[in-house]
Amino acid sequence: MWLSISATFWRNYLVMRRAFPWSFFLGHILSAIYIIIFAYLTYFFVFKGDLSSSFSAYAGTNDYLSYCILGGLLYSFSVSLLMITSRTLITELREGTLESLLLTPSTRKGYFLGYVAQGLIRIMMEFLVIIAIGSLFGLHLQQINWFHVLIVLAILILSTFSMALVLSSFMLFFRDTYITQNTLFVLMGLVCSITFPSDFLPEGVRWISHIMPLTYGVDALRMVWIEGVAINDLLTPLLKMVILGLIYLPIGSYLMKRMEKYVLEKHFG
Amino acid sequence: MIEAKGISKCYTIKKRMNFFRSEKQIVCAVKKLDLSINEGEIVGLLGLNGAGKTTTIKMLSTLLNPTEGQITVDGDDAVKDAMKVKKKINMIAGGERMLYWRLTGEENLRYFGKLYQLSGLQLEKRIAYLLDQVGLSDSKDVPVELYSKGMKQRLQIARGLINDPKYLFLDEPTLGLDAPVAKQLRGLVKDLASQENKGILLTSHYLEEVEELCDRVYIIEKGTIILHDTPEKIIASVVKNYHLMIETSSLSVALQNKIKKELVNCTIQFTDLTDSTSIHIDAPFDPTSFFINICMNEAISILKLELKRPRLEDAILTLAKEKSA
Repeated sequence: MWLSISATFWRNYLVMRRAFPWSFFLGHILSAIYIIIFAYLTYFFVFKGDLSSSFSAYAGTNDYLSYCILGGLLYSFSVSLLMITSRTLITELREGTLESLLLTPSTRKGYFLGYVAQGLIRIMMEFLVIIAIGSLFGLHLQQINWFHVLIVLAILILSTFSMALVLSSFMLFFRDTYITQNTLFVLMGLVCSITFPSDFLPEGVRWISHIMPLTYGVDALRMVWIEGVAINDLLTPLLKMVILGLIYLPIGSYLMKRMEKYVLEKHFG
Repeated sequence: MIEAKGISKCYTIKKRMNFFRSEKQIVCAVKKLDLSINEGEIVGLLGLNGAGKTTTIKMLSTLLNPTEGQITVDGDDAVKDAMKVKKKINMIAGGERMLYWRLTGEENLRYFGKLYQLSGLQLEKRIAYLLDQVGLSDSKDVPVELYSKGMKQRLQIARGLINDPKYLFLDEPTLGLDAPVAKQLRGLVKDLASQENKGILLTSHYLEEVEELCDRVYIIEKGTIILHDTPEKIIASVVKNYHLMIETSSLSVALQNKIKKELVNCTIQFTDLTDSTSIHIDAPFDPTSFFINICMNEAISILKLELKRPRLEDAILTLAKEKSA
């Protein structure tokens, strides 16, 4: 599997070096910036800096801007990771390389891991740019336990990767990237506590937030970044992310196997 | 040996009856097909468009699972032991797909080599050897998007050989290539079979290519094998039309009539020229020996003799005509 990981990593690295996907890179940064600017404008000019007590109770903080900036930061992180992972095979299909890939005895896990490992370089670049811009809007950068931040990110990566496999199989089934992924991203932006706590959502919708790893990732990151809590207090959201990852991984792997065959039969049969 | 026994590939398709109603239909692209490929042998797979050639190749190359029947590669089941089988096979398709255009030729081979679990010096040696074999050593550092069509096809061949497969599937490998490049490729295919003992399955619309290269040919029609033999035997069994053009010293009318009488079921046309006679014969057999005997017995000089032998193309055209009749 190691050879598949390194081969895919280097292949994508070389492709990215020659044709850097600027539109995706800027698009993800801009989507986070829009969230930050929208939160800034509404907070100061619509609500005049006045937060309701229920917000503080649900969010566990009075720092609304940091709340939204971290929401935007992790939303962009999650969307990038989902896009990079879920678009892999459909891109191979569109570029006419899927056959040659599936002919090889390489493991699909190795292929995906190589893809994600390389994609994380770009995602981390976006992450740092958004933090820098967030700091201009009041995101503090002192007294943060970066090790805890890395733990949150690592677990979010694993669970989001698993979820991306499920998304990828839907993309292959519908042979569509745009509608499928954007429907999910809009839903994530709405229900995953990005700009407001999901507790404000009606009961009938709130359950969707519980099946999104991003909801728990954002909670955990805010606890580390804003409240500076100890690792023990992070266990609940981290565990929930792990459980979601463990649920999505077998479902995604199974669906991907079926979709590969489905695409081959539909496309090449 | 690759052996396919009774393989079929069927699909369930929805046929729309009206706006609200659709009906499921089962369509079989390949039906109960038996096929074998030995090491060191080039086998042709021919058929008209939609005959099931590509589906057959996809099944043999593990990309598609047969709906029924079994494919084994040196005894390994192509479905159950797919990973094992994938190491022994590879496929080269015509056109410009199956390569990463933003990578260089060498990077493409390195990527695919690693996916076949090759690494280190072994991989680098293999890449250098293949680039040299297909004449791309000087362009190894050029991105594939800047390659010509012929160069891309040659790189495809190198990609198809990166794992040193025992069996190779060639699906229209010379599609759209210039005559010299196609000829070079044919030479390479011949060498792969004769010198490297690879078993090769070839589909091509260029029937002269199949006739030149293949030891055996399967002809399929609507997913079923209708003929299987050597190209020569297929031609002999299907095409019953030989055209002979012979120019002799002047033939008397009596002799012309005698020839006409003896060659029943043949179309003969005599044209008297100044000092000679030109004869055109369409016969269901090779009439050369008959004419040579006559000329020897009658002391007639042969000035020119041309026999147009039927080709595999004629056989396929005849079969297509018979099927559509």
